[in-house]
Amino acid sequence: MPMTADTPHNAIPIALLGALREIVGPDGVVSDPDELRVYEADAFAFQHRGMPGLVVLPTSTPQVAEVVRLCARHGAAIVPRGAGTGLSCGATPRGGEVVVALTRMTRLLSLDAVSRTATVEAGYVNLWLTQAARPYGLFYAPDPASQQACTLGGNVAENAGGPHCLKYGTTTNHVLGLTVVLPSGEIVRLGDVVQDRPGYDLAGVFVGSEGTLGICTEVTVRLMPAPESVKTILAIFRTMEDASTAVSNIIGRGIIPVALEMIDRPTLQAVEASSHAGYPLDAGAVLLIELEGLRAEIEAEAAGVESICREAPCLSVQTAQSEAERIRLWKGRKEAAGAFSRISKHFYHEDTVVPRTKLPQVIAEIDAIAARNSVRVASVFHAGDGNLHPLICYDGDVAGQMESALRAGSEIIHYCIAAGGAVSGEHGIGLEKRDQLRLMFSPADLEAMQKVRRVFDPAGGMNPGKIFPDEERGAER
Amino acid sequence: MSPASGLPAAELLAVVGAPHLVTGEGRLRYRIGGAVPRGALQPADAGEVERILALAWRDGLGVVPWGGGFHQGIGRPPARYDLALDLARLDRVIDHQPGDMTVTVQAGLTLEALAALLGRHGQHCPLDPPPATRATVGGVLATNLSGPLRCRYGTARDLVLGLRIAHANGTRSVGGGRVVKNATAYDIPKLYLGALGTLGVIVEATVRVYPRPPADAGEIIAFPDLSAAAAMADRLLHSSLVPTRLELLDGGGGRGIRLLVTLAGVPEAVAFQQNAVAEMAAVAGGKLQTEQLPADLDLLGEFPWGADTGRGDGVLWRGGVRVADCARAMAAVRGVAGMDVSSEAAATVSAGTLRGRLSGGPEALCQAALKVRTSLEGLGGYLVVLEAPPAVRTALDVWGSPPGSLHLMQQLRQAFDGRRILNPGRFLESL
Repeated sequence: MPMTADTPHNAIPIALLGALREIVGPDGVVSDPDELRVYEADAFAFQHRGMPGLVVLPTSTPQVAEVVRLCARHGAAIVPRGAGTGLSCGATPRGGEVVVALTRMTRLLSLDAVSRTATVEAGYVNLWLTQAARPYGLFYAPDPASQQACTLGGNVAENAGGPHCLKYGTTTNHVLGLTVVLPSGEIVRLGDVVQDRPGYDLAGVFVGSEGTLGICTEVTVRLMPAPESVKTILAIFRTMEDASTAVSNIIGRGIIPVALEMIDRPTLQAVEASSHAGYPLDAGAVLLIELEGLRAEIEAEAAGVESICREAPCLSVQTAQSEAERIRLWKGRKEAAGAFSRISKHFYHEDTVVPRTKLPQVIAEIDAIAARNSVRVASVFHAGDGNLHPLICYDGDVAGQMESALRAGSEIIHYCIAAGGAVSGEHGIGLEKRDQLRLMFSPADLEAMQKVRRVFDPAGGMNPGKIFPDEERGAER
Repeated sequence: MSPASGLPAAELLAVVGAPHLVTGEGRLRYRIGGAVPRGALQPADAGEVERILALAWRDGLGVVPWGGGFHQGIGRPPARYDLALDLARLDRVIDHQPGDMTVTVQAGLTLEALAALLGRHGQHCPLDPPPATRATVGGVLATNLSGPLRCRYGTARDLVLGLRIAHANGTRSVGGGRVVKNATAYDIPKLYLGALGTLGVIVEATVRVYPRPPADAGEIIAFPDLSAAAAMADRLLHSSLVPTRLELLDGGGGRGIRLLVTLAGVPEAVAFQQNAVAEMAAVAGGKLQTEQLPADLDLLGEFPWGADTGRGDGVLWRGGVRVADCARAMAAVRGVAGMDVSSEAAATVSAGTLRGRLSGGPEALCQAALKVRTSLEGLGGYLVVLEAPPAVRTALDVWGSPPGSLHLMQQLRQAFDGRRILNPGRFLESL
């Protein structure tokens, strides 16, 4: 696996090691190099890896505060970490930092079914929350693909989305309050279960700050009433243009599905080859549409969606009649990434977003970029919100292919920004996309962010090197 | 000494042109309490706003950003009030691609003008704080006011996608973007929502819009007591129904305790939900007053401001508690009725947010407002005074007790406006 030259492994002072063991107990500190290796990357181990100096596993907010204070005193940089399922190297050390992993803080602190809120520790797993809320007829809406493993604290850091955020919004729309350990070691409460208190929306700014403003240790979120009914529709189109027409008409008619996923031809061919989802190989695109809500509403909307797809026109459209069928219709979409690992040695998972109406022109340009760089690009989209995930296939063992893949990815991002889009729709910036930030933001825009950063972390010791391009990081260790 | 003395008049004039620097009687329009600015400026675009701020920054002039002016009663009186920065001429629509379900507008555009534009495309922006005719996009975002539609659509923090900001020192920056989903670095627009202009002047905003639902309907349900109404509201919130508004009303003028529910969507679903609401109402002992809905929606659209209150002689307030404490909070508010004041209140039950109006003599008002605040704080909530006679403002801090993170807020203010020129003295302690 290709790697960039990261900062060399820094020695952790013995005094710090001992003091940390005193705070979290001997089993709460990882210092063995073999065990540390687990923490050298996140789920985007494409370019960056770095060995942490130490990993600390606190079990309470006061422990986190003590650990942070101690590190600040020793000038040791910190990388906060949840489950490590991130896709932009936000929790990847550059080398030598103290990783503070929240994975032992897994308690559900409260669930208020009347107020429809819950407070959990940062290491609590996303899916557990919906499971805990189910007996009360409630659920937690953001559902990142890694929801069986990813933690609420990590979701807060990355402002995680998921296929169902078209209707319900991303993490930021569901977070009411946070308990945060600031880089100084001070414990503060940002936001509150009581809404609209006067003051600056610090919780709002903290969500999506990728661990650079402090360590979130507790999260208070909004829960939603479970929908009465779900309908899943799969439509197959001859061309991407026909599928795009259907998407426009669905949104234009005022129907907001919970999910509106598009699979392009290379992807559906790969899926078909690996798992026989039943897609015709001459199809140009597949749309997966999921509606959730009141039965009376969903029945009417499903009929509308079916007729919109037929008029587009589509080759076929089917609505799941049972839960088993629903799972079958989702199968192809869920297996897309896996299918690629079977047909391509390596792939690079890009994340970008454009205004929704720009999707057809962006899709055409991606084809041209792929051809120009002699790589295969397959795309799955959250078509309803313009969020694209091109998978750029390459063989890292063939000289020059990884460079071609990177170049194609960069060209795609450039094109999407020019079309009014953003560098990342849901994966964040981390180490991966730092240098692309300037495509979207001027030095003055980044300076406004840096002002926030310096207020929270004047010494620059909290997740240094993440998000901001190198030149913008004056004060960092 | 002319009022404009101490202003860099020639330089300001060079920025905006003669008709748009107001130094005479016209300044009275920009009065806040007893304070009148030395001059008012009506810039034509964001560039002029930046140049004005650069001059104000250089000279340390106190600047009050001005939208429709309707909500300037919010906050403390300005500590320095040299310039009113009237953004009314920044009223252009920058970009509206209906298919993207977003719109980018200048800050001075009124919600009414925005609604007219979007309505032509079958869309709406569900920001509905009172009053739509005068409230501007920039003002609504700076004050973070919301209306009953937050039940279904959330507040500014859910709807704003990007902002362009003119900073205190005259520089500019943008945050966020024009896409509906964005994880690109800090979500910087959140900083400015509800910041009362103290971290920078919002000059342009991109917001999410929604399709206008094909059908809508609603009910007003009268209840003999608060607990019956609250029980129905709770039941409705935990059902699969999706109301667009759900307001618990304690109206003055003999209108008593009522629930206002509105529904929207495809006709079949609206009809189904309306039936379900009627059934719930019958079980809860409520009486349908459907015919009153249009009038009540109009009143609610202004509330707690309203034509029937003389401005300046009542206390208008907003507050919040946990959703589960909403009925208790409304009961506490109702409890002040015996204290020589009359009280009206409305609660957005899904959010636990309340607003209300107290009317009466100055002394009674003071005591009643304090009592309401104490009750809400006793429930872990808060109360903010929106409008009040000077005596009441003196007696109780309009903002209430500061949050535990105040020191971070103060440092942010220092970082973004170290000379304290934007709305000085008006927001929380030292902000």
